[in-house]
Amino acid sequence: MPKQNTVNSVPELLRDAVTCPFCSLLCDDLETVTRGTQVSVSHNACPKARKAFAAATPAGSPLVDGKPATLEQALSAAKRILKYARQPLFSGLATDVDGVRASLALAERCGAIVDHLHGASMAQGIRVLQSRGHTMTTLAEVRNRADVVVLLGADINEDFHRFAEICLTPAESLSPERLAARQIFHLGPRAQRPRQAGLNCQPIVCTADELPNFLGGLRALLRGRQHGLTGRSAKALAPLAHALKSAAYAVFVWAPGQLPPAHAEHLIGSAGELIAELNQHTRAAGLALGGNEGGQTALATAAWTTGYPLQFSYAGETLDYDPLRYQTARLLAEDAVDVLLWISTFSAQVPPANTLPCIVIGNAASALTRPGSVYLPVGTPGIDHTGQLMRTDSVVSLPLQQLRDTGAVSTAQMLAALAATLD
Amino acid sequence: MPKLIALHGGRVYDPTNGVDGEIRTIYLGPDGIVPAPLDQGEIGETHDLQGCVVMAGGVDIHTHIGGGKVNLARMLLPEDHQRDLVARGVHPRMGCGHAAPSTFTVGYRYAEMGYTACFEPAMLLSNARQAHLEMGDTPIVDKGAYVLLGNDDLLLRMLSTDADPAAVRDYIAWTLDAAQAMAIKVVNPGGINAFKFNQRKLDLDEPNTAYGLSPRQILLALAEGIHGLGLPHPLHIHGSNLGVPGNVETTLATIAALEGLPAHLTHIQFHAYGAEGDRKFSSGAARIAEAVNRNPNISMDIGQVLFGQTVTESGDSMRQYAGSAFASPKKTVLMDIECDAGCGVVPFRYRDKNFVNALQWAIGLELFLQADDPWRVFLTTDHPNGAPFTSYPHLIRLLMDRSFRNDMLATINPDAAAASILGSLTREYSLYEIAILTRAGPARSLGLSMLGHLGLGARGDVTVYEDHPDRERMFQRPRFVFKAGELIVRDGKLVAAPTGATHVVKPDYDRGIEAHINDYYRRFMTVRPQNLRVAAGEIDGEGRGRLIVHHTRRDA
Repeated sequence: MPKQNTVNSVPELLRDAVTCPFCSLLCDDLETVTRGTQVSVSHNACPKARKAFAAATPAGSPLVDGKPATLEQALSAAKRILKYARQPLFSGLATDVDGVRASLALAERCGAIVDHLHGASMAQGIRVLQSRGHTMTTLAEVRNRADVVVLLGADINEDFHRFAEICLTPAESLSPERLAARQIFHLGPRAQRPRQAGLNCQPIVCTADELPNFLGGLRALLRGRQHGLTGRSAKALAPLAHALKSAAYAVFVWAPGQLPPAHAEHLIGSAGELIAELNQHTRAAGLALGGNEGGQTALATAAWTTGYPLQFSYAGETLDYDPLRYQTARLLAEDAVDVLLWISTFSAQVPPANTLPCIVIGNAASALTRPGSVYLPVGTPGIDHTGQLMRTDSVVSLPLQQLRDTGAVSTAQMLAALAATLD
Repeated sequence: MPKLIALHGGRVYDPTNGVDGEIRTIYLGPDGIVPAPLDQGEIGETHDLQGCVVMAGGVDIHTHIGGGKVNLARMLLPEDHQRDLVARGVHPRMGCGHAAPSTFTVGYRYAEMGYTACFEPAMLLSNARQAHLEMGDTPIVDKGAYVLLGNDDLLLRMLSTDADPAAVRDYIAWTLDAAQAMAIKVVNPGGINAFKFNQRKLDLDEPNTAYGLSPRQILLALAEGIHGLGLPHPLHIHGSNLGVPGNVETTLATIAALEGLPAHLTHIQFHAYGAEGDRKFSSGAARIAEAVNRNPNISMDIGQVLFGQTVTESGDSMRQYAGSAFASPKKTVLMDIECDAGCGVVPFRYRDKNFVNALQWAIGLELFLQADDPWRVFLTTDHPNGAPFTSYPHLIRLLMDRSFRNDMLATINPDAAAASILGSLTREYSLYEIAILTRAGPARSLGLSMLGHLGLGARGDVTVYEDHPDRERMFQRPRFVFKAGELIVRDGKLVAAPTGATHVVKPDYDRGIEAHINDYYRRFMTVRPQNLRVAAGEIDGEGRGRLIVHHTRRDA
């Protein structure tokens, strides 16, 4: 419950059980202090959260061509851009559930193409899902059930920082014997190795480009087959293969956005097959860490609204799902769109370089000031307004609190105002 | 004052009020069905319904319309959407239909079929917020959801340490409250949890190795707890051994295990298999129907299989893993979920020339036709597990038209046809009985006094069909559908898309249980229970929806 404190006559608003919107782990045990418009985390902040809350300054004034404007002027300029668009692209999409809902409603109306700023990396996992499926698990299962955890080219030092504390090294577990015997491996570049205190991790060092070979080698070792690895690699993988053979519940953790793009789909698919092989005799599952900046939220909300995850187009008579064709970078490079509506409400995410008429709906850090642009300021979900976000495991979703009152509107409210100008 | 709508001259089938095909006039006001006005001037509009059949709006007691596994199925199957895209302008929102439809299309198509309420049977507490978000984007129909218990480590820990039954009851009530649910469902009691510990099957009296509890113990604890809370809908049971040849014995033993406590056995077709014959797969329908007929504490829905492509979505990860070998197309999603539950999504194509699929089809129909009491059998396909909900009109025709049924029977796998007694069953369901199976019965079972009937106090969900001898055609395309007194469908086409309500039950309970729950979450889980809890405002805030709270017998 909110508490009012008065220290040195500066009023403080204290909140607990606050959900952090800045990475898709959505840690919901933060304690925050609000002084005026400054929100800081007093307990349970990871380094990224501490910085992100501190950086969340209130949104400024609307801008048209980089110059301050009234909201009415800015909405009217945005309306002109949308009205004359032949093929708009709605991207960024870094917002909460209601923001995505409103984005999709307006995109349908405008015949827009829809993508998220992490759309390309999320699509890698979706392609594997759609071609062969997968066996996955969630955070509480990892925490309580796993006896072997393999971080597969995943870096949990900045993003997903508290994954170590919450899932890998908790004080207690429903299966204390598994927690006591838990073995944690990191397979990948040395620089990625988890540095959290108290996390005892066995490194198997390889470069990012060597990951496919190492994973293939591991599968071969588990099948007792020839693997074509050099002596050093085979030796490095042997303890992991041994651990997996005797594991009761093995979990493979990857972060699609951190895998080398050229190998990501193959690696995720290969990990999925390894998991399927293990499940023939024991239990194993995967966990993808990803969908930051509301990515998981955008994916889920798009899927229930349309049937499709990202990316798709509302331009035709029916929905057109084509994740390869409708990626932001490609559409911009090929001049396939003539207007960009960009939404970014968590961190500083300006649109990729482009010269198109551009509407940015964003927090203060995402403001765009170039000619031909309109900036519509909105709040950060979970700081300036309430909302909901989906967690990385695609199961849990959490409520966001309002921690200060700056009068900032939500993305959904701003989009509703924009839609009203088109009536 | 708003004018009344008079529905005049139609034959009314309203089993709740004992009306069986009488020609009556129904008066619809903004607050529901009202008595005939003294002053004819109050009537604003009269529809002449000569030659029409009038029923309450349909109520689907078991249909997977929202939540994580439904959304996984959507993401998994772009190729299925491709065959049934909803074009711009057909409905207020674009989307897709068929096996894994978008939320908007679900609402529109149910309404176009004359259904005005749908209940999602497998919501997880850990996923409840998402389920409600999806249902919030499902227009027109009223909805509600059953929350899963019986594989969550919290309950199993309580039961394995002989917790006080009062504490179990409070935990059940707290879960209903936190998840904003309408009932409790158990799926493969203890089995989903056991699968996480690598057990691959779990019989009714086989202990889950982690907790030493058998499905029987879990079922009894839940059924007793729910009975004690006085919930309108009894324990909703997806039993052990789904799909396993010979599981008729498990199902019969489950009925006996309930010791007379009220219970609902869902998609019972998937639990009515014998292991006889050359292929060790046979119909157990007669024995199941006989047991249900004999036990008035038991109700069932069928989970009818109809031929074609669909996708199976289930919380039963143990059985879905086994079924993944038969996936078509060949891909499966499995999940272990949050020390709470699990799920499995397996696309499947039921083929009429396949012996097992054809016999599954026949078994479902045998169950319908041998059930004596239509108030205890509900029409479902376990959408989309047996078939998409859009096939209900076809199913109704199979039940009402024996010669059509026999024509179909002649086209299926001949060995399956020979192994079934379906051809000898002469029963044809009447319109009155169909009205029970599809609206009056489900509404009564859920304790929804404003739905499923056309008497005073009904909210004004009314469906008008043209009486056509082809019952499939008749039920596919109602002439009119009214939702809460508002015309929403004319000649099978949507004309308005209002927002439906969400139904929840709120039994009284001792909040002292929260100390135990909070301690458990603090020690073992990854979220705070107060954040898991779905706030009322998340459902009914900003005019997005409406909550209807049902109080239980205890605090009534």
